[in-house]
Amino acid sequence: MDNSVYLFAAFSITWTVIFIFIFKLFRSQKVLGSQIDKIKKALPKNIESDSRHP
Amino acid sequence: MKYAQTLLIPFQLLTFVMMLLALYTIFIYAPVEKTMGVIQKIFYIHVPTAFLAYMAFFITFIASILYLYRKDSIWDTVAHCAVETGVIFCTIVLITGSIWAKPIWNVWWTWDPRLTTTLILWFTYVAYLMLGRVVKENQRANLAAVFGIIGFINVPITFFSIRLWRTIHPVVITGSGFNMSWPMKFSLIITLIAFCFLFFSMLISKIRLERLKKCVEEIKEIMETGI
Repeated sequence: MDNSVYLFAAFSITWTVIFIFIFKLFRSQKVLGSQIDKIKKALPKNIESDSRHP
Repeated sequence: MKYAQTLLIPFQLLTFVMMLLALYTIFIYAPVEKTMGVIQKIFYIHVPTAFLAYMAFFITFIASILYLYRKDSIWDTVAHCAVETGVIFCTIVLITGSIWAKPIWNVWWTWDPRLTTTLILWFTYVAYLMLGRVVKENQRANLAAVFGIIGFINVPITFFSIRLWRTIHPVVITGSGFNMSWPMKFSLIITLIAFCFLFFSMLISKIRLERLKKCVEEIKEIMETGI
């Protein structure tokens, strides 16, 4: 068998592993972004409810 | 924090450019080795990833000491993120080594000292990552720091295994430097620099994300308790 198949396998597996890691990072960042948005939306309500109390 | 974010984007762009340059040197600039043929080119990713896995575990070692000394949670985050990145690189080392071994040694795996110690190293740090899921959060950081320090003993053993025991693993770095021709040496240096950029991009991004996660959790707790 031609050795270039092994070379191709090694490089593709390496890049797949790295891309999975980067993809997971992006996904966590997206989840975190939506959580921050929720907090941002909730914050004015808290401030309003706090200001009602003397 | 904002300053670091501004610096991270050009750093990541530079990583991409360096990776392209590394691929050029591996496939076009570097000559094909006479005895092994094209399969020898695996070496250009195998060696830098091995070096960076050791570096990641060294960062964990230092961060663990700093955590036990200062009790600052940032060092626990750094240690944990370095292990995650290191395990990724160590996995690549094991896979690429195994793929290289098949056509050269005619086996996927052999219990050679270097291979065995690398596998033990991988299991050690996978156990470190699993520790977080088993132990309670208040105990985890201290235990992980101790694990990070003790686990590092494996790194010099793995590195020097080819000198300490009889092995069939090739010895690239000898007492007289790199045992290869100049174009190969140059390609290895470029690939090493490119992988260093990639490693630090991944590590810094991971640390930033984990810190941000902790901040969001703290804010959520404050909002829920209504303080």
